[in-house]
Amino acid sequence: MRVALFLTCLADQFYAEAGVAAVRLLRALGVQVDFPEDQTCCGQPAFNAGYWDEARPLAKRTLRVFAEAAYVVLPSGSCASMVKNHYLELLPGDREALALAEKVYELSQFLVRVLGVKRLGEGLKGKKVAYHHGCHALRELGVREEPLLLLRNAGAEVLPWEASEECCGFGGLFSVKLPEVSLAMADRKLATLHEAEVLTSTDAGCLLHLAGRLHRKGKHLRVVPLATLLWEAYAG
Amino acid sequence: MRARARLYPKEAARLLREKPGVREAVTGATLHFERNRLRAYGEVPIEEWRERAKAVKDHVLTHLDHYLELAERRLRENGVRVHWAETPEDAHRVLREIVQRHGVRRAVKAKSMLTEELAVNPLLQALGVEVYETDLGEYLIQLLGEPPSHIVGPAIHLSLEEIQKLFHQRFGTPLDAPPEALAQVARKVLREAFLSAELGLSGANFLVAETGTLALMENEGNIRLSTSLPRVHVAFVGLEKLLPRFADLALFLPLTARAATGQRLSTFVSLIQGPAREGEEGPEEVHVVLVDHGRTALLQDPEAWETLRCLRCGACLNACPVYRQTGGHPYGYVYSGPIGAVLDPGLLSLEEAYPLPYASTLCGACYEACPVRIPIPRLLLTWRHRAVAEGLTPAWEGAAMKAFRQVMASPALYRLFSKALRGLPLPQDLLPLLKAWTEGRGPLKPSPKPFHELWKELEEAEGGP
Amino acid sequence: MDPKARILARVRRALEGRPKAHLPPHPHTPLPEDPVDLLLGRLRENGAEAKRLSREEAKAFALSLAQGLPGAAFGKTLPEDLRPPLPELPPEEAPLGLSYALFAVAETGSVALSSEEGRKAQLLPPTHLVFVEAGRVYGTLLEALEDLKALPAALGLHSGPSKSADIGQVMVKGVHGPGRLVVAVLIGPG
Repeated sequence: MRVALFLTCLADQFYAEAGVAAVRLLRALGVQVDFPEDQTCCGQPAFNAGYWDEARPLAKRTLRVFAEAAYVVLPSGSCASMVKNHYLELLPGDREALALAEKVYELSQFLVRVLGVKRLGEGLKGKKVAYHHGCHALRELGVREEPLLLLRNAGAEVLPWEASEECCGFGGLFSVKLPEVSLAMADRKLATLHEAEVLTSTDAGCLLHLAGRLHRKGKHLRVVPLATLLWEAYAG
Repeated sequence: MRARARLYPKEAARLLREKPGVREAVTGATLHFERNRLRAYGEVPIEEWRERAKAVKDHVLTHLDHYLELAERRLRENGVRVHWAETPEDAHRVLREIVQRHGVRRAVKAKSMLTEELAVNPLLQALGVEVYETDLGEYLIQLLGEPPSHIVGPAIHLSLEEIQKLFHQRFGTPLDAPPEALAQVARKVLREAFLSAELGLSGANFLVAETGTLALMENEGNIRLSTSLPRVHVAFVGLEKLLPRFADLALFLPLTARAATGQRLSTFVSLIQGPAREGEEGPEEVHVVLVDHGRTALLQDPEAWETLRCLRCGACLNACPVYRQTGGHPYGYVYSGPIGAVLDPGLLSLEEAYPLPYASTLCGACYEACPVRIPIPRLLLTWRHRAVAEGLTPAWEGAAMKAFRQVMASPALYRLFSKALRGLPLPQDLLPLLKAWTEGRGPLKPSPKPFHELWKELEEAEGGP
Repeated sequence: MDPKARILARVRRALEGRPKAHLPPHPHTPLPEDPVDLLLGRLRENGAEAKRLSREEAKAFALSLAQGLPGAAFGKTLPEDLRPPLPELPPEEAPLGLSYALFAVAETGSVALSSEEGRKAQLLPPTHLVFVEAGRVYGTLLEALEDLKALPAALGLHSGPSKSADIGQVMVKGVHGPGRLVVAVLIGPG
């Protein structure tokens, strides 16, 4: 089995280790991983802000970059959803968009649903993990059980968290255009989070935002992308 | 009512800064409503109900002329006087005539968002009529001179302390008077109003075309009283409130109650057919004002007309993590929260409602909550796209997006940008944005090397695919 | 053109070329086995008091409820044999209102009160006692609404005591309708 990794611009820049973890994990599970080096951004920031004329060329080039892949795996719920669900709004009826939509997966979704892998190892034994459900992964891709299953089966104690499914307040440009509301939303999430050792999620944006807020508030909590934690689960 | 949506960013920030109690009050209330809704949805085959309700509403809206004419016919047969109002002025004309003909000095009013749209209270006051909002929450904000903060619970932004203080100032109650005592005071004042008012005003949750029945839902009993005791009852009904058949109420009344407050049915439901019959208690005259006020404009919109399915249940407000932080006031119009962000541009204009479609992270919680499956996130994207096309977004943003597109369209430029992020000084116009990030979240720290550089090393170290 | 004509013209223009949506038929859910049992349970969950009584017991029950009270307001359709020997007071003054429901709906825990029966006696007194015949208890709201042929000027569905949480999110009762709802389902010949 061969997959193309679509790292996403945010993870490429801010959570490069997640990419390394994803590659190592997939290879360890017997999957061949390509990284089409021409990849840049799926276009979501422009699309979400209403700049569809700027998003469209980026969508078109993404379709070209990944045209040959059998599967495209992303360590990101929002970018996977952009490709899977929203490219067709930018390019109605486009055959390539339809084709790519069929092949796109968020990482944990790929592991569980395509590879059928539910158990990675014991590497997270006893770790108290808080899992933040990124909104696009949860509500647009339907990814909810996959990350939890993988974490729990690796021995992690996934903590009950009242606000786990509430939006963290990142929302792309929202975080800087309506910063006060964005931060109030982060504070709501973090105020309901207790006794965790590590905070994780599928999306780099959410993690940057929450990690940043924790830092600003002087709180110490390890914040890592799901891919990194899953590699730890496997590799110990 | 004029919209002041443009102020949303500043007002939201100011509210968070100056009135942290509002965030606390609104969070408590909306979480409570949400929990109740989830429980109530969980008891029934909710997806079937939502699908069916969507279908019935789509049917009514795509046959709206037929159902409006049918409703008018039935209403008239029932002895109800029917008026049509395109604009607030048309509605004012109807009210003015009634007030003058009946010598109305006092009116009792059930909560109605449509009457807020139409600025009914200021008109009545100008005509010398004493207006009493009878829904307890509406009464509180009337005393404070504030607009409603939420479609179903207009006073959720107020803390108990604020209300105790209000009653102390107005009625001399002790500052620590419990809610029971305050409620008794309001009950006494409003009872007096119910018994003496010549005019009762209401909206309508639904108007059944088949039978000309008005359906109104509530938990207090003030709607039953406002529509039963005064001599004249005037109901303002938005064009989109129609239902085809009487039995459709069996779906819509419970669905709306579950979505709004998690109840199987609201405590009191009034099904009104017309004026009192011979020898009965009830109003001598019942008027229905069918109101447009932007609804036909929205109906004409090929992408946004579905918004008119809205039942005004408030479920989306309760689910919205953005609304939860501030309540409804910063949105600057009657309809706030997620539905406000998509209804206001449709009923008014995008220019008047801007930037409400941006008051969202597109998280989708509203769509999950909506009993009639209004695709709010998709509509928000549509309005945003139109906002850009209409030139409403700031010039710097357009320039930034063009730059973003150029960088991302070229792997070479992207890699250059990647290096710049790690060393070279950043372009000036990025700095205000950067500040908006770092002020609340600390410095942005890129990984020492981006993944696309690490990939080469991975390949070399691990021997590739 | 008057507002009606203009509005309808705009509606028609809006709908030109738009595909029409079909109207689904009403769903039919299975009816509860014992509607009276369900009604009593649901009323209680709604915060009302609910009992199953024979006609004789009902009249005595009304008397006991009115103990120490100066009188009651009566609904117009209350049958003579259910009317307790109490002084009749105007609804504005009566501490107790006594009504005879048109029907009840078990699944929602509601009693239906017709304008023929009255309005003030159902709304003004702080305690509201409602009698409903067991044979008039419908299982579902759909069943009840489909069966309703002649609509009164106003039909009120009452499902519990009046309540509001508008004051600091604390629940209070009796603003503005009756804060106490008591329903007696009448079993036996009637």
